[in-house]
Amino acid sequence: MIVELQSVCKAYGQGEARFWAIRDADLTIRAGDFISIVGPSGSGKSTLLHLLGCLDKPTEGTVQIDGEPIDRLADRQLSLIRRNRIGFVFQQYYLNECMTALQNVLLPLELGKVKGRKEKAADALERVGLESKVKSYPSELSGGEQQRCAIARALANCPEIVLADEPTGCLDTETGGRIMDTLADLNEQRQIGIVVVTHDERVAAYAREQIQVCDGRIS
Amino acid sequence: MVWIIVANVKKRKARLVMTVVGIAIGVATLFALLSLSAGMEGALDREIGGLGAQIILLPEGCPYELTLALMQGADTLEHIPEESLPRIRGVENVRSAVPAVVGRVKVNGQLTSLYGTTEDVLQIKTWGITEFTGAVVGSDVAEKLNLSRGQRITLDLYAQESLEVTKVLEAAGGRDDTFVFVPLAVAQKILGLGSSLSAVLVQVADIDETTQTRFALGRMADIQAVPPSEVFDTLMGLFGSVKQTLILITGIAIVAGILTTMNTMTMAVHERKKDIGILRAVGSTQRDVFGLFVWESLLVSLAGGALGIAMGYVASQFLPRTSGFGLEATPHFSLAYVGICILVAVAVGTVSAIYPAMVAARTQPIRTLREL
Repeated sequence: MIVELQSVCKAYGQGEARFWAIRDADLTIRAGDFISIVGPSGSGKSTLLHLLGCLDKPTEGTVQIDGEPIDRLADRQLSLIRRNRIGFVFQQYYLNECMTALQNVLLPLELGKVKGRKEKAADALERVGLESKVKSYPSELSGGEQQRCAIARALANCPEIVLADEPTGCLDTETGGRIMDTLADLNEQRQIGIVVVTHDERVAAYAREQIQVCDGRIS
Repeated sequence: MVWIIVANVKKRKARLVMTVVGIAIGVATLFALLSLSAGMEGALDREIGGLGAQIILLPEGCPYELTLALMQGADTLEHIPEESLPRIRGVENVRSAVPAVVGRVKVNGQLTSLYGTTEDVLQIKTWGITEFTGAVVGSDVAEKLNLSRGQRITLDLYAQESLEVTKVLEAAGGRDDTFVFVPLAVAQKILGLGSSLSAVLVQVADIDETTQTRFALGRMADIQAVPPSEVFDTLMGLFGSVKQTLILITGIAIVAGILTTMNTMTMAVHERKKDIGILRAVGSTQRDVFGLFVWESLLVSLAGGALGIAMGYVASQFLPRTSGFGLEATPHFSLAYVGICILVAVAVGTVSAIYPAMVAARTQPIRTLREL
């Protein structure tokens, strides 16, 4: 899988209130890459991640998935790309408190009626070392376990690229290190492309390639 | 899918209960209405059928009031002269003409419905006797007055008579259970009617010629000939206007149920905006999210429907049995009514979920993620 940004600009607001979050960004991500995106708050890191994950469309320029511009794709096709080829991990985990770890991972697969979903969800939890916590609710898990559960949700449908928005932002250094080890293992052993947005230099150091974003420009 | 819905609604148990009860009230009203209407129709059909006649001859006046009076054993102001009987029997196609007088008299000191008739009554009633003498007592009367075969009873109004109970009828679930049947002359004497009749019940020889026979009988002076089916239709028509009001009330209750569910689902969509955004971000399509909310609403509505059917059943047991025209209508239950109520619950669930589910499905994940 190749995600390509060509001369991408992204603006929010209208008229005088218009604000350019991303300017002239050119970037290519492949399955197997391990990239960190660093930069100060408000520099456009998360916007860049959203554009890479087909969650947002550029104001100018093109985002292509395997050579296909995403603005030609319908909402359903973009959803299916996110479901089957791209995994998302968020800083705050965003797990459903009323569902067990297994159910949280299973949820998007269940709604999409993905074949073999239960096995896929259980495998994903096993991959992040949570096989003994499948029946635990988020409130019964530590912060690190919750983030691993969120990673399992992102991995459940075997994506080619995982996009993580400050995945260790809410964790202590040691737990954060373990989460990054998990992502690094996935990249190394399964050739899953990892893109991590972070402020933390130690987290950025896990990546083979580092991208700096400042005032919406990639350097 | 069900486990997702259960997990989601578990978060808001109080609201879930209120929504389910809201729907249940509408469905319960509908279920009670259906079962009571059917009970009413059944009771009327049974009573009119129990008269055992294809044509009822009544004195001039409102035929429906007179038929009801006949069924309920109440006296009427107008009467048919007994002398008309031979002429009635002489009309072509009349197989039997059974004279009847009815009224309320004291039987052993207690006010009871009296039915005076001739032995011809055995042609239209299946009492299991070959001779009509003395007093034939309906099962309810026998139970109320503690009567049995061979006992003597005293009948008293304008005159007093003492008769032996020759038969206690088996309970038939109809108006006959509430009458004391005595020979015509005895009844006329006690009721002070001279040689007048309350009605004449006519059976025809050829059922296909009933209409012509009815017109021939209706041409006789001071007599109107009414087919029981017409009485039934008219009385059901009168009941229909009451039913329409009840349907309106039921409709209002169901609309209230729809609005309650719609409100609950809209609130649920608003509160779960973050969850929906995450779902969309991890690959759920608009259709997935739409389906999730529609199914949730459907399950809640079905729970409301099931509770409503149970509530309607219980409520109809406690409603007054005398539901119109002095008829004792027992609620009638059928699987069809359960099916109708379930369908209504499904409709409530679907209609009320469409708008909130559309709002949920249109959620743009990026907007949610930016707000997180």
